[in-house]
Amino acid sequence: MSIINYGSKEIQFKIVYYGPALCGKTSNLMYIHSQVAPENKGDLVSLATAADRTLFFDFLPLNAIAIKGFRTKFQLYTVPGQVIYNTTRQLVLRSVDGIVFTADSQWEKMEENVESIRNLEENLLKQNTSLDGIPYVLQYNKRDLPNVAPVNYLEYVLNNRAVRVQSFESSTATGQNVFATLNAISRLLLYKFTKESDLADKRSKTTVLMSTVR
Amino acid sequence: METIPFLTKEDVVELDNILEDYLHKSDADFTMVIDRGGTVIAQCGKAGNKDVAIVAALAAGSFAATKELARRIGENEFSALYHQGRGRHIFMSSIDEHTIIITLFGEETTVGLVRFYTVDIVPPISALLERFRSREAPSIPELSATGAMAPFGPGRD
Repeated sequence: MSIINYGSKEIQFKIVYYGPALCGKTSNLMYIHSQVAPENKGDLVSLATAADRTLFFDFLPLNAIAIKGFRTKFQLYTVPGQVIYNTTRQLVLRSVDGIVFTADSQWEKMEENVESIRNLEENLLKQNTSLDGIPYVLQYNKRDLPNVAPVNYLEYVLNNRAVRVQSFESSTATGQNVFATLNAISRLLLYKFTKESDLADKRSKTTVLMSTVR
Repeated sequence: METIPFLTKEDVVELDNILEDYLHKSDADFTMVIDRGGTVIAQCGKAGNKDVAIVAALAAGSFAATKELARRIGENEFSALYHQGRGRHIFMSSIDEHTIIITLFGEETTVGLVRFYTVDIVPPISALLERFRSREAPSIPELSATGAMAPFGPGRD
Protein backbone atom coordinates (compact mmCIF):
# COMPACT_ATOMS: atom_id res chain seq x y z
CA MET A 1 0.00 0.00 0.00
CA SER A 2 1.32 3.46 -0.78
CA ILE A 3 3.19 5.10 2.03
CA ILE A 4 4.81 8.50 2.31
CA ASN A 5 7.89 8.70 4.47
CA TYR A 6 8.93 12.18 5.57
CA GLY A 7 12.07 10.86 7.18
CA SER A 8 13.56 9.29 4.06
CA LYS A 9 11.54 11.59 1.75
CA GLU A 10 10.10 8.70 -0.22
CA ILE A 11 6.72 7.62 -1.52
CA GLN A 12 6.21 3.93 -2.39
CA PHE A 13 3.59 2.39 -4.66
CA LYS A 14 2.85 -1.22 -5.56
CA ILE A 15 1.70 -2.05 -9.09
CA VAL A 16 0.62 -5.56 -10.09
CA TYR A 17 0.54 -6.85 -13.68
CA TYR A 18 -2.36 -9.30 -13.88
CA GLY A 19 -3.63 -11.42 -16.75
CA PRO A 20 -3.94 -14.92 -18.20
CA ALA A 21 -1.04 -17.32 -18.63
CA LEU A 22 1.53 -16.38 -21.28
CA CYS A 23 -0.06 -12.99 -22.03
CA GLY A 24 3.23 -11.10 -21.53
CA LYS A 25 3.24 -9.89 -17.91
CA THR A 26 6.81 -10.97 -17.26
CA SER A 27 7.82 -9.67 -20.69
CA ASN A 28 6.55 -6.21 -19.67
CA LEU A 29 8.89 -6.20 -16.69
CA MET A 30 11.78 -7.53 -18.74
CA TYR A 31 11.36 -4.80 -21.34
CA ILE A 32 11.06 -2.09 -18.67
CA HIS A 33 14.12 -3.47 -16.91
CA SER A 34 16.09 -3.40 -20.16
CA GLN A 35 15.27 0.26 -20.81
CA VAL A 36 15.51 1.97 -17.43
CA ALA A 37 18.85 3.49 -16.46
CA PRO A 38 20.80 1.42 -13.90
CA GLU A 39 20.64 4.07 -11.17
CA ASN A 40 16.84 3.98 -11.26
CA LYS A 41 16.22 0.27 -11.07
CA GLY A 42 16.96 -2.73 -8.90
CA ASP A 43 17.40 -6.29 -10.07
CA LEU A 44 14.52 -8.02 -11.81
CA VAL A 45 13.70 -10.93 -9.54
CA SER A 46 11.82 -13.87 -11.05
CA LEU A 47 10.51 -16.75 -9.00
CA ALA A 48 9.92 -19.04 -11.93
CA THR A 49 9.94 -22.71 -12.82
CA ALA A 50 12.75 -24.31 -14.81
CA ALA A 51 10.62 -23.70 -17.91
CA ASP A 52 10.50 -19.93 -17.18
CA ARG A 53 6.87 -19.96 -16.15
CA THR A 54 6.16 -17.64 -13.23
CA LEU A 55 5.74 -19.70 -10.10
CA PHE A 56 5.26 -17.03 -7.44
CA PHE A 57 5.91 -13.56 -8.82
CA ASP A 58 8.34 -11.33 -10.68
CA PHE A 59 9.46 -8.18 -8.94
CA LEU A 60 11.12 -5.04 -10.22
CA PRO A 61 11.77 -2.01 -8.01
CA LEU A 62 11.99 1.33 -9.84
CA ASN A 63 12.77 4.88 -8.84
CA ALA A 64 10.77 7.40 -10.80
CA ILE A 65 10.14 11.08 -10.59
CA ALA A 66 11.09 13.41 -7.81
CA ILE A 67 8.30 15.64 -6.61
CA LYS A 68 9.51 18.61 -4.63
CA GLY A 69 12.24 16.67 -2.96
CA PHE A 70 10.32 13.41 -2.49
CA ARG A 71 11.52 10.37 -4.42
CA THR A 72 8.80 8.11 -5.75
CA LYS A 73 9.43 4.38 -5.77
CA PHE A 74 7.31 1.97 -7.78
CA GLN A 75 7.37 -1.74 -7.06
CA LEU A 76 6.24 -3.75 -10.05
CA TYR A 77 4.95 -7.28 -9.51
CA THR A 78 3.50 -9.90 -11.81
CA VAL A 79 1.23 -12.74 -10.77
CA PRO A 80 1.46 -16.29 -12.09
CA GLY A 81 -1.14 -16.58 -14.84
CA GLN A 82 -1.81 -20.28 -14.68
CA VAL A 83 -5.24 -21.07 -13.27
CA ILE A 84 -3.95 -23.39 -10.54
CA TYR A 85 -1.96 -20.63 -8.84
CA ASN A 86 -4.90 -18.62 -7.58
CA THR A 87 -3.78 -18.64 -3.95
CA THR A 88 -0.47 -17.15 -5.04
CA ARG A 89 -2.26 -14.43 -7.01
CA GLN A 90 -4.21 -13.50 -3.90
CA LEU A 91 -0.97 -13.19 -1.91
CA VAL A 92 0.68 -10.97 -4.51
CA LEU A 93 -2.39 -8.73 -4.72
CA ARG A 94 -2.13 -7.89 -1.05
CA SER A 95 -1.68 -4.13 -0.47
CA VAL A 96 -1.80 -3.41 -4.20
CA ASP A 97 -2.11 0.24 -5.21
CA GLY A 98 -2.67 -0.11 -8.96
CA ILE A 99 -3.21 -2.81 -11.56
CA VAL A 100 -2.24 -3.32 -15.18
CA PHE A 101 -4.49 -5.97 -16.69
CA THR A 102 -2.56 -7.48 -19.59
CA ALA A 103 -4.77 -9.26 -22.10
CA ASP A 104 -3.62 -11.55 -24.89
CA SER A 105 -5.08 -10.10 -28.10
CA GLN A 106 -5.19 -13.39 -29.98
CA TRP A 107 -8.68 -14.63 -30.85
CA GLU A 108 -8.19 -18.00 -29.22
CA LYS A 109 -7.27 -16.37 -25.90
CA MET A 110 -10.49 -14.41 -25.41
CA GLU A 111 -12.02 -16.92 -23.02
CA GLU A 112 -8.86 -16.94 -20.90
CA ASN A 113 -8.83 -13.12 -20.83
CA VAL A 114 -12.42 -12.99 -19.60
CA GLU A 115 -11.79 -15.71 -17.06
CA SER A 116 -8.71 -13.88 -15.79
CA ILE A 117 -10.42 -10.51 -15.33
CA ARG A 118 -13.29 -12.23 -13.51
CA ASN A 119 -10.73 -13.96 -11.33
CA LEU A 120 -9.14 -10.57 -10.62
CA GLU A 121 -12.50 -9.18 -9.53
CA GLU A 122 -13.10 -12.16 -7.25
CA ASN A 123 -9.67 -11.86 -5.69
CA LEU A 124 -10.07 -8.13 -5.11
CA LEU A 125 -13.40 -8.80 -3.46
CA LYS A 126 -11.64 -11.10 -1.01
CA GLN A 127 -9.53 -8.08 -0.03
CA ASN A 128 -12.64 -5.96 0.40
CA THR A 129 -11.92 -3.88 -2.65
CA SER A 130 -12.93 -3.94 -6.30
CA LEU A 131 -12.01 -2.59 -9.71
CA ASP A 132 -14.17 0.43 -8.87
CA GLY A 133 -11.96 1.23 -5.92
CA ILE A 134 -8.53 0.74 -7.38
CA PRO A 135 -6.75 2.48 -10.27
CA TYR A 136 -6.20 0.16 -13.23
CA VAL A 137 -5.49 0.24 -16.95
CA LEU A 138 -5.89 -2.35 -19.69
CA GLN A 139 -3.14 -3.44 -22.00
CA TYR A 140 -4.02 -5.37 -25.18
CA ASN A 141 -0.79 -7.20 -25.81
CA LYS A 142 0.69 -9.12 -28.75
CA ARG A 143 -0.62 -6.66 -31.33
CA ASP A 144 2.34 -7.65 -33.54
CA LEU A 145 0.82 -11.09 -34.13
CA PRO A 146 -1.40 -11.78 -37.19
CA ASN A 147 -4.39 -13.43 -35.52
CA VAL A 148 -5.44 -10.68 -33.14
CA ALA A 149 -8.97 -9.54 -32.38
CA PRO A 150 -9.85 -5.94 -33.26
CA VAL A 151 -9.48 -3.42 -30.44
CA ASN A 152 -13.21 -2.62 -30.54
CA TYR A 153 -13.94 -6.23 -29.73
CA LEU A 154 -11.44 -6.30 -26.86
CA GLU A 155 -12.97 -3.10 -25.51
CA TYR A 156 -16.42 -4.67 -25.73
CA VAL A 157 -15.30 -7.79 -23.92
CA LEU A 158 -12.94 -6.38 -21.29
CA ASN A 159 -13.51 -2.65 -20.92
CA ASN A 160 -17.24 -2.82 -20.33
CA ARG A 161 -17.68 -1.55 -16.81
CA ALA A 162 -19.67 1.57 -15.94
CA VAL A 163 -16.49 3.63 -16.00
CA ARG A 164 -14.25 2.71 -18.91
CA VAL A 165 -10.55 2.93 -18.29
CA GLN A 166 -7.52 3.74 -20.41
CA SER A 167 -6.39 0.93 -22.68
CA PHE A 168 -3.26 0.44 -24.75
CA GLU A 169 -2.40 -1.66 -27.77
CA SER A 170 0.98 -3.11 -26.97
CA SER A 171 3.64 -5.49 -28.03
CA THR A 172 6.10 -6.52 -25.38
CA ALA A 173 8.14 -8.14 -28.15
CA THR A 174 8.83 -4.74 -29.76
CA GLY A 175 8.26 -2.55 -26.70
CA GLN A 176 5.25 -0.81 -28.25
CA ASN A 177 3.30 1.05 -25.55
CA VAL A 178 4.98 -0.77 -22.68
CA PHE A 179 6.09 2.53 -21.15
CA ALA A 180 2.85 4.24 -22.12
CA THR A 181 1.01 1.65 -20.03
CA LEU A 182 3.40 2.03 -17.10
CA ASN A 183 3.23 5.82 -17.26
CA ALA A 184 -0.58 5.72 -17.34
CA ILE A 185 -0.94 3.60 -14.21
CA SER A 186 1.80 5.55 -12.42
CA ARG A 187 0.08 8.82 -13.29
CA LEU A 188 -3.24 7.51 -11.96
CA LEU A 189 -1.56 6.51 -8.70
CA LEU A 190 0.18 9.84 -8.26
CA TYR A 191 -3.05 11.64 -9.00
CA LYS A 192 -5.07 9.48 -6.59
CA PHE A 193 -2.39 9.86 -3.97
CA THR A 194 -2.29 13.65 -4.15
CA LYS A 195 -6.07 13.85 -4.27
CA GLU A 196 -6.55 11.61 -1.28
CA SER A 197 -3.92 13.42 0.71
CA ASP A 198 -5.77 16.64 0.08
CA LEU A 199 -2.68 18.00 -1.52
CA ALA A 200 -4.09 19.34 -4.64
CA ASP A 201 -2.83 22.71 -5.41
CA LYS A 202 -4.24 22.04 -8.82
CA ARG A 203 -2.66 25.03 -10.42
CA SER A 204 0.84 24.11 -9.42
CA LYS A 205 2.88 22.95 -12.33
CA THR A 206 5.47 20.51 -11.18
CA THR A 207 7.87 19.34 -13.80
CA VAL A 208 8.28 15.64 -13.26
CA LEU A 209 9.89 14.27 -16.34
CA MET A 210 13.12 12.59 -15.60
CA SER A 211 15.71 10.68 -17.49
CA THR A 212 15.10 7.17 -16.29
CA VAL A 213 15.31 5.95 -19.84
CA ARG A 214 18.58 5.62 -21.60
CA MET B 1 -7.30 0.02 8.92
CA GLU B 2 -4.37 -1.65 7.23
CA THR B 3 -2.63 1.30 5.65
CA ILE B 4 -0.15 3.61 7.25
CA PRO B 5 -0.65 6.49 4.82
CA PHE B 6 2.30 8.57 5.95
CA LEU B 7 5.20 8.69 8.38
CA THR B 8 6.38 12.02 9.78
CA LYS B 9 10.01 12.73 10.62
CA GLU B 10 9.10 12.28 14.28
CA ASP B 11 7.54 8.87 13.53
CA VAL B 12 10.68 7.78 11.75
CA VAL B 13 12.86 8.91 14.66
CA GLU B 14 10.62 7.06 17.13
CA LEU B 15 10.75 3.84 15.09
CA ASP B 16 14.48 4.23 14.45
CA ASN B 17 15.20 4.60 18.18
CA ILE B 18 13.43 1.33 18.94
CA LEU B 19 15.13 -0.49 16.07
CA GLU B 20 18.59 0.90 16.90
CA ASP B 21 18.26 -0.23 20.50
CA TYR B 22 17.08 -3.64 19.28
CA LEU B 23 20.06 -4.02 16.92
CA HIS B 24 22.46 -2.95 19.64
CA LYS B 25 21.09 -5.46 22.15
CA SER B 26 20.70 -8.37 19.74
CA ASP B 27 23.98 -7.81 17.88
CA ALA B 28 22.16 -8.24 14.59
CA ASP B 29 23.29 -6.37 11.46
CA PHE B 30 20.14 -5.09 9.88
CA THR B 31 16.44 -4.96 10.57
CA MET B 32 13.36 -3.62 8.83
CA VAL B 33 9.67 -3.34 9.43
CA ILE B 34 7.59 -4.07 6.33
CA ASP B 35 3.93 -4.42 5.59
CA ARG B 36 2.66 -7.77 4.37
CA GLY B 37 2.47 -6.48 0.84
CA GLY B 38 6.25 -5.99 0.84
CA THR B 39 6.44 -2.22 1.42
CA VAL B 40 9.27 -1.02 3.66
CA ILE B 41 8.03 1.04 6.61
CA ALA B 42 11.30 1.44 8.53
CA GLN B 43 14.82 0.09 8.35
CA CYS B 44 17.93 0.27 10.48
CA GLY B 45 21.49 -1.02 10.35
CA LYS B 46 23.97 -1.89 7.64
CA ALA B 47 22.22 -3.09 4.49
CA GLY B 48 25.55 -3.49 2.68
CA ASN B 49 24.99 -3.97 -1.01
CA LYS B 50 21.61 -5.62 -0.50
CA ASP B 51 18.65 -4.16 -2.35
CA VAL B 52 16.31 -3.61 0.56
CA ALA B 53 13.19 -3.43 -1.63
CA ILE B 54 13.92 -6.86 -3.07
CA VAL B 55 14.64 -8.39 0.34
CA ALA B 56 11.33 -6.92 1.59
CA ALA B 57 9.34 -8.25 -1.38
CA LEU B 58 10.81 -11.73 -1.06
CA ALA B 59 10.39 -11.81 2.72
CA ALA B 60 6.75 -10.73 2.45
CA GLY B 61 6.20 -13.40 -0.19
CA SER B 62 7.90 -16.03 1.92
CA PHE B 63 5.87 -15.07 5.00
CA ALA B 64 2.64 -15.07 3.03
CA ALA B 65 3.35 -18.46 1.49
CA THR B 66 4.19 -19.90 4.90
CA LYS B 67 1.02 -18.45 6.40
CA GLU B 68 -0.98 -20.23 3.74
CA LEU B 69 0.94 -23.41 4.46
CA ALA B 70 0.11 -23.03 8.17
CA ARG B 71 -3.55 -22.54 7.36
CA ARG B 72 -3.57 -25.77 5.36
CA ILE B 73 -2.44 -27.71 8.39
CA GLY B 74 -4.89 -26.04 10.75
CA GLU B 75 -2.73 -23.24 12.19
CA ASN B 76 -3.54 -19.55 11.86
CA GLU B 77 0.06 -18.75 10.92
CA PHE B 78 3.61 -19.50 11.95
CA SER B 79 4.37 -16.35 13.89
CA ALA B 80 8.12 -16.54 13.33
CA LEU B 81 10.36 -17.91 10.60
CA TYR B 82 14.07 -18.56 10.64
CA HIS B 83 16.25 -19.28 7.64
CA GLN B 84 19.68 -20.54 8.49
CA GLY B 85 22.59 -20.03 6.12
CA ARG B 86 26.24 -20.96 6.50
CA GLY B 87 27.24 -17.54 7.79
CA ARG B 88 24.23 -15.28 7.32
CA HIS B 89 20.78 -15.86 8.70
CA ILE B 90 17.38 -14.25 8.55
CA PHE B 91 14.69 -14.12 11.22
CA MET B 92 11.16 -12.94 10.48
CA SER B 93 8.44 -12.35 12.98
CA SER B 94 4.87 -11.18 12.81
CA ILE B 95 4.27 -7.81 14.49
CA ASP B 96 0.54 -7.69 13.91
CA GLU B 97 -1.82 -8.81 11.19
CA HIS B 98 -0.47 -6.14 8.82
CA THR B 99 3.27 -5.98 9.47
CA ILE B 100 6.39 -8.10 9.85
CA ILE B 101 9.86 -7.45 11.25
CA ILE B 102 12.81 -8.90 9.34
CA THR B 103 16.25 -9.22 10.93
CA LEU B 104 19.50 -10.19 9.24
CA PHE B 105 22.40 -11.40 11.34
CA GLY B 106 25.69 -13.25 11.20
CA GLU B 107 27.92 -15.25 13.48
CA GLU B 108 28.29 -12.44 16.05
CA THR B 109 25.00 -13.41 17.64
CA THR B 110 22.57 -16.31 17.89
CA VAL B 111 19.03 -16.94 16.76
CA GLY B 112 18.04 -17.32 20.41
CA LEU B 113 19.22 -13.82 21.27
CA VAL B 114 17.62 -12.32 18.17
CA ARG B 115 14.35 -14.08 18.92
CA PHE B 116 14.45 -12.97 22.57
CA TYR B 117 14.82 -9.28 21.73
CA THR B 118 12.37 -9.50 18.85
CA VAL B 119 9.68 -10.71 21.22
CA ASP B 120 10.59 -7.72 23.40
CA ILE B 121 10.12 -5.03 20.76
CA VAL B 122 7.05 -6.37 18.99
CA PRO B 123 4.53 -4.84 21.46
CA PRO B 124 5.95 -1.27 21.39
CA ILE B 125 6.28 -1.33 17.59
CA SER B 126 2.78 -2.70 17.24
CA ALA B 127 1.42 0.06 19.49
CA LEU B 128 3.29 2.74 17.52
CA LEU B 129 2.04 1.46 14.17
CA GLU B 130 -1.52 1.31 15.45
CA ARG B 131 -1.23 4.95 16.49
CA PHE B 132 0.08 5.87 13.02
CA ARG B 133 -2.78 4.04 11.34
CA SER B 134 -5.54 5.65 13.32
CA ARG B 135 -4.78 9.34 12.78
CA GLU B 136 -5.83 11.78 10.12
CA ALA B 137 -3.63 12.55 7.14
CA PRO B 138 -2.21 16.06 7.21
CA SER B 139 -2.40 18.52 4.39
CA ILE B 140 0.89 18.37 2.54
CA PRO B 141 0.96 21.45 0.37
CA GLU B 142 4.52 21.02 -0.85
CA LEU B 143 3.58 17.91 -2.81
CA SER B 144 1.71 17.95 -6.05
CA ALA B 145 1.83 15.44 -8.84
CA THR B 146 -0.93 16.92 -10.91
CA GLY B 147 1.59 17.90 -13.55
CA ALA B 148 2.95 14.38 -13.85
CA MET B 149 2.66 13.34 -17.46
CA ALA B 150 5.25 10.64 -17.89
CA PRO B 151 6.77 9.48 -14.62
CA PHE B 152 9.09 7.09 -16.42
CA GLY B 153 9.78 9.20 -19.46
CA PRO B 154 8.67 8.33 -22.96
CA GLY B 155 10.58 5.06 -23.26
CA ARG B 156 10.99 3.54 -26.68
CA ASP B 157 7.31 2.88 -27.30
